[in-house]
Amino acid sequence: MTGTSAFFLRREDLVPLLEELAETLEVVAPVLVEGEAAFATWRGGALALDDKNPLASPMEFFLPKKEVLFRYVQYSGRYTFSEDPPRARLIFGMRPCDLQALKVIDGIFGAELPDIPYAGRRRSTIIVALNCTSPGEGCFCRSMGSGPGAEGGYDLLLTDLGRGYLVEPGSPAGVYILRAHQRHFEEADPEDQREKERLLALAGEEIIKRGPSLNPEKIREAIDGVDWEEAGRRCLACGGCSLVCPVCHCFSVLDQGVPDGERLRCRDTCILSGFSRMTSGANPRPALGERLRHWYLDKFVYIPEKTGLFGCVGCGRCSRVCLGEVDRWSLFKEAAE
Amino acid sequence: MEKIATICVYCGCGCGLFLHVEDGRIVGASPSPAHPVSRGRLCVKGWLAADFVHHPDRLKTPLVRKGGRMVRGSWDEVLSLTARRFKEIREESGPDALAVLTSAKGTNEENYLLAKLARAALKTNNVDHVARLCHAPSVAGLGFALGSGGMTNPIRSLLSSGAILVTGSNTTEQHPLVAAHILEAQSRGATLIVVDPRRTQMAQLADIHLAPRLGTDVSWTNGILNLIIDLGLVDEDFIIKRTEGFSALKDLVVQYTPVEVERITGIPSGDLEKAAVAFGEADRAAVVYAMGTTQHSCGTDNVLALANLVLATGNVGRDGTGIYPLRGHQNVQGACDMGALPSVYPGYQKVEDPAARERMEAAWGTDLPAEPGLTAVEMMEAAEEGRLKGVYISGENPMISYPDRDQVMRALSSLEFLAVADIFPTETTALADVVLPVASFAEKDGTFTSTERRVQRVRRAASPPGEARPEVEVAADLLRRLGVDADYASPEEVMAEISSVTPSYGGISYQRLGISGLSWPCPSRDHPGTEILHQGSFPIGRGRFSAVEQQELAEDLDYPLLLTTGRSLFHFHTGTMTRRTHLLDRERPKAAVDINPADAAALGVRSGTMVVVESATGSLEIEARLTEEVPVGTVYIPFHFAEAPANQLTARTLDPTSKIPGLKRTPVRIRRAE
Amino acid sequence: MKMDRSKKEADANGGTKIGRAAGAKPESYLPIQAEVVDIDVESSNTYLLSLRPMDEEDELVAVNYSPGQFLMVSVFGLGECPISIASSPTREPLQICVREAGKITQGIMAARVGDVLGIRGPFGNGFPVGSMRGKNVLIAGGGSGFATLRSLINYIADDRRDFRDVTVVYGARTSQDLYFTSEYGSWQAAKIEVGITVDMMDASWKGNVGLVTSLLADLDPVPGTAALCGPPMMIRAVARDLLGRGFIEPEIYISLERHMKCGVGKCEHCTMGRYHVCTNGPIFSYDVVGDLI
Repeated sequence: MTGTSAFFLRREDLVPLLEELAETLEVVAPVLVEGEAAFATWRGGALALDDKNPLASPMEFFLPKKEVLFRYVQYSGRYTFSEDPPRARLIFGMRPCDLQALKVIDGIFGAELPDIPYAGRRRSTIIVALNCTSPGEGCFCRSMGSGPGAEGGYDLLLTDLGRGYLVEPGSPAGVYILRAHQRHFEEADPEDQREKERLLALAGEEIIKRGPSLNPEKIREAIDGVDWEEAGRRCLACGGCSLVCPVCHCFSVLDQGVPDGERLRCRDTCILSGFSRMTSGANPRPALGERLRHWYLDKFVYIPEKTGLFGCVGCGRCSRVCLGEVDRWSLFKEAAE
Repeated sequence: MEKIATICVYCGCGCGLFLHVEDGRIVGASPSPAHPVSRGRLCVKGWLAADFVHHPDRLKTPLVRKGGRMVRGSWDEVLSLTARRFKEIREESGPDALAVLTSAKGTNEENYLLAKLARAALKTNNVDHVARLCHAPSVAGLGFALGSGGMTNPIRSLLSSGAILVTGSNTTEQHPLVAAHILEAQSRGATLIVVDPRRTQMAQLADIHLAPRLGTDVSWTNGILNLIIDLGLVDEDFIIKRTEGFSALKDLVVQYTPVEVERITGIPSGDLEKAAVAFGEADRAAVVYAMGTTQHSCGTDNVLALANLVLATGNVGRDGTGIYPLRGHQNVQGACDMGALPSVYPGYQKVEDPAARERMEAAWGTDLPAEPGLTAVEMMEAAEEGRLKGVYISGENPMISYPDRDQVMRALSSLEFLAVADIFPTETTALADVVLPVASFAEKDGTFTSTERRVQRVRRAASPPGEARPEVEVAADLLRRLGVDADYASPEEVMAEISSVTPSYGGISYQRLGISGLSWPCPSRDHPGTEILHQGSFPIGRGRFSAVEQQELAEDLDYPLLLTTGRSLFHFHTGTMTRRTHLLDRERPKAAVDINPADAAALGVRSGTMVVVESATGSLEIEARLTEEVPVGTVYIPFHFAEAPANQLTARTLDPTSKIPGLKRTPVRIRRAE
Repeated sequence: MKMDRSKKEADANGGTKIGRAAGAKPESYLPIQAEVVDIDVESSNTYLLSLRPMDEEDELVAVNYSPGQFLMVSVFGLGECPISIASSPTREPLQICVREAGKITQGIMAARVGDVLGIRGPFGNGFPVGSMRGKNVLIAGGGSGFATLRSLINYIADDRRDFRDVTVVYGARTSQDLYFTSEYGSWQAAKIEVGITVDMMDASWKGNVGLVTSLLADLDPVPGTAALCGPPMMIRAVARDLLGRGFIEPEIYISLERHMKCGVGKCEHCTMGRYHVCTNGPIFSYDVVGDLI
């Protein structure tokens, strides 16, 4: 099994492959929960791969919504600490947009003073990505250059060709899986590669047709032209846009328990006023509109300065969850191509 | 990681969400995209719905008072003590010396068993819950006018409305998912009319905002109806075919001319006309209201006046129309449905109706009391007077949520025996003889019934902490100890019994409850449920108009300001859960009284100044916050905060029909603190 | 030995990267434990705590830092918050100055001698002490912002010959709110000009009443480099004044305060535009943040 860069996995071989992988790893995949697709531990049975990308991004397996940083136990005035080791996981069916988010977070949590819990999970997680041949409504990954096809960042990449999957390795770990489970794979036909390109081109057109089609450079320029006060008036401060965004990563830290307890890290949102308010009561961003503006500036100006990548991957989730009926991207009408 | 589909624990919207569970621990929540109300969205409390579940303050072991101190006890010890004390009190003082307060936070199954505990085991109809303090006037008012106190239409029906009148509801903060639907309707062209003395976010987003003086709701409602009649915008066909009593009402509302209404309410007559035209001309119009309408000593009149408006314009029984009493708790509708009320059995069958009583006696295999019992606030009076001696409270915190805190304190302290079941220690558990640690919403199976009568499945996502148990087990255990058969293997079996004795739940079973649940009435196994009520007829035959008049408003020169109370977006009720949710507590860490800058200037008060607020009932010290959201002459305090309990100030002036206290209007005065 | 080494580290750290102590990994969220060895009352709501790392391997944390850096200080059960270092690396022990603000600072102030606190850090860039050498130095503080400047003042005092004219101006609300009053004499003895003022007169106060800027008018400092910390109003007024005297924007350094949770540029609480106050700051030059404060 050398010399070729692409393989073919027959549809009926997918579940047996995952069963073998699940013997040594926790396999996380889109499964049906009460009829809806969600990323959760796969316990055998059908996968929800035909559905759109689930609303809750698999980024939570790298940046959990809530995690224990460490436990503290007090004994005669002194403390001992314990931390949990990261668990070995395989995430199956991660889409290119979420994969791009992971690259952005690598540039923030993986760089310069790397975040230890994140780095640990990153190292112990295998990623089997799935190209997006059936994009969802409101997606605009093509505008952001993050989809519908994945470029790097995965261990294995699958493309659904109908009768089965084209499988491409992207790392030594991916190659290892191909070798260790080679009875499920056969060498891909050159035609399969062409079929993949054709399907991704179709998906790309579909995304453009459905819109929104946005130019990130123009959004960057348009930010200061938006009436943020008015946007703030309509915002219901649910924080959903940050809590659902695969790139948003801000967190809060709190202790629970005296004298023994846990130091917890939980996802936070800059949409809340308490996020930036100091104990003195002074707040650098007191108005909702200012906080919304900051949200966009971070994604289109500050994160790119830091990582070289846009802080938005075009997954469209923020508009889906917006409680204030704000189409998050119509704010930038003039930014549309 | 597992994802468990369940229903949010906070307001009555009843949003569907997933709890994310890692190693037996809930680590997050996300909205259900397919759920008919949440549609992939949640408010800030919903996103953080389960954040309090693993808080270290959770009650983990049963507690019993010994020698004045609370000590650990076993379940067997506390339950046998509870059963024994209840029996002793019943033998010494009769069954009506006992009472049960159930919880709008509990499941239907829990409420059903606790109401059964009161009636079948303790033999008293003294059973009530927080609905007394929220929608008792809706149950009374809409029950009289339309034949059902429930919301007539589902939330999504608002998307088809041409005009929406929102009153006494701070919708964006209290029912954010309803607000999201209203704002979506507005963006599709509906006219949004908001009637609220405060300039809430909803009022700021409205097309027309009317700001009446507190307590003048009947006047402006009658005034709008008068204009609608004048302009010929009533639905005469509907009035003739489906209603009765219109002419008496018509004769009455003539007095409510725009000029007269302006004199009473302060609403400019031009604005009133705009609202009347927008509401009257709309093909489909809806009325949305909440506690700002009901929590008045004339709460039932307020509801009846709004019912007049929808009946006269024929806005009942169709998509986009209707009247929406927004329920504050996720299961306050269900608790009422389950008969956790002193006058009715499950499904609103009256205890005074001999036929209904016979049916229930047959179902429960025991004789039942015939006289309606005490309401929640009456229970406090009876306890203070020594008539009530033993009480079981499930998950309520009357010390913070009931009017006249000092009296509640005296009442609960004078009881011979108080058992309190809760998830956290509260100001009320502190007064208990036994404390029963119970499971939170995320640790039990059951059903909640949302504000739109949608019965939905709640699922266990984690184990209760320590020895805590689901209250359905606690109630069944107590029933057995008090001699009533209660061998339920699961909450599902309790639901099977509920559907057998509750006509409107007759067709409901766990198997049928998919992602959208089922809306009652759902009388049989093949019935699809009823999303829109009163389509062809009313349960009472014809809809009834009521000629309701403006009540005389007490004014007191010693207390020149009017206090109104409410909740904030970031907290829920008495804060037992939200104040233990880090991001929510951080957002609103302390109480403040909202004062208009003009009033503040006259009082010499700045933002951050500590002030003393005094009423005839009591006083409290609190920080001032200056804001134009409250009009001149009105101040506002959210009631979540035990350290500044707004209900220290409120009085027990009750609505004569529904016995709700007038929490929304209290004359007060303010001075700078020393 | 220790002092020389720490001086070198402080100079090297200042204005660049985070100081790394031998025993602690700054990127770890696990604090090291430090014992409270002494507590001084600086004002009615401000204590000066002296800390000593409990484990031998963490000992260097107490000296390997630069003036202007801060620590994340933990009270287990209440949480963690940023506190600026008030001592100079040239002098042990390590000291933090804590003013009562929220529940964590209340928890720190409730600590008694012998109690254990958690510390992480040092974090932030610190004042560019290396480039300040050989220059006139003006240090202006207001209120509780003076704590971090005390670190710089003592650092300079211990190496006085390397700096030219050094002037300190400091204002507080009342004379009771002035910090480090017992040290002003030693600074003057080290040929540091010291001006003190209060907002409100009281019976015990015989000195200046008025704004910090009025002290500048009296002392007329020669342009050079400046270090500022205090309320935004005071910072703006002093910076304007200094610019009028011929100081230049890149030589006016301001120490900023923000809500913080991590100290390592991840949690995003302290962002100020494109900057993280925790890693890009807390010391910024006026040309960078002048329009953001």
